[in-house]
Amino acid sequence: VSEQSSEVRSRVCIVPCSGIGKTYGSVTREAAYVLTEELQPETTEIVPLSLLVLGDEAAQEVVRRAQVITLDGCKLACASVNVRQAGGAVAREYAVLDFYRQHRDLKPGGIAELNEGGRALARELAGEVAGVCDELAAEEVNHA
Amino acid sequence: MPSLPQRKVGIVACSGEELPGGTVTRLAALKVLEELRPSETVTICLPLFLAGGEGDRAFARFYPTIAVDGCERRCAARATELHSNKPAAAFTVDEIVTRRELPQPQGTRRLTPESRAVIDALAEEIAGEVDHLIAVRWSRSQGAILEPEASSTAVETSACACGSGIPVTTVQLDGRSVQILALAPILELAYGQGLRADGSFPDQIMATVRLYNAIPGGDETLWEEAVAVAWREYCAGKETRHGA
Repeated sequence: VSEQSSEVRSRVCIVPCSGIGKTYGSVTREAAYVLTEELQPETTEIVPLSLLVLGDEAAQEVVRRAQVITLDGCKLACASVNVRQAGGAVAREYAVLDFYRQHRDLKPGGIAELNEGGRALARELAGEVAGVCDELAAEEVNHA
Repeated sequence: MPSLPQRKVGIVACSGEELPGGTVTRLAALKVLEELRPSETVTICLPLFLAGGEGDRAFARFYPTIAVDGCERRCAARATELHSNKPAAAFTVDEIVTRRELPQPQGTRRLTPESRAVIDALAEEIAGEVDHLIAVRWSRSQGAILEPEASSTAVETSACACGSGIPVTTVQLDGRSVQILALAPILELAYGQGLRADGSFPDQIMATVRLYNAIPGGDETLWEEAVAVAWREYCAGKETRHGA
């Protein structure tokens, strides 16, 4: 079953907000890296927001075809907005600020380098998103 | 008359997560913003160009920007020009690496220690360009460097509280103080295009004001009246200066 699932299963696109000036943007980026490099490297990939902003055809095609999970660092929700403007459907969207409210013991700090709380919050977020990826994969297999 | 807010230079970094160059642009931009030129620079969020960031679009329309890209696709430079205005300057990581004979940066989430030299070199180049753009005369109406002999203008304005450097004009609407984003440069742009206050109020001015401001429903007429007054005062000021 596991082998069959991995054959059918397509990659889930992870789109972090890519903001450079605030801590929560850094948390989204770190969470995306933890997920795609450590937790689910075979089944997830990052789609850079800058390509979607530019209107890159290949990037737009990827988010139109794949399951997309967005990670936003502020209420403007650039990742979610840009994915939808590219014609993609957002399977699940996360706002880091809301996520932090559920994990107040993990207070993030720093921008270029996140503090311990920020890294822990990112890891927690990545773990939750990994669970969502599993759910999406299971749905995909059921529909196949 | 109050002076113009201090000019800022906007830095737009591609910040691409999937390649080392993207991480280099982000860290170099941060170094300029936080360490090298904190008083002269602001960050412009690239995805906000599409996600409704009126302030970011307005800034890049009227003030100089430096685009910093991690690869030859040049997303930051091209998207800034596509959605706002041509950047005053642009860098790519590759050109810095080549020109300074540095090692190619390695890593994405964590760059290798050797990549630090590329970040430092790029930040240094950006800071140098910031100094250049601060020193030259900048036309907000043309979004370009002015020739040395061009005349300067002054408008009554103050800096936006968001810290972006966008000028805001405060007007009174039915006893309420309302801030209009980028009104001064919009009037300057209209005047530069040859529009004058001797006829009916030009539609294109309100169209541009709407582009950068979300006008609440029901306030449209009040806004138009206030902008029309500001337009007449602006033109009168220009005529007075030219006649003096």
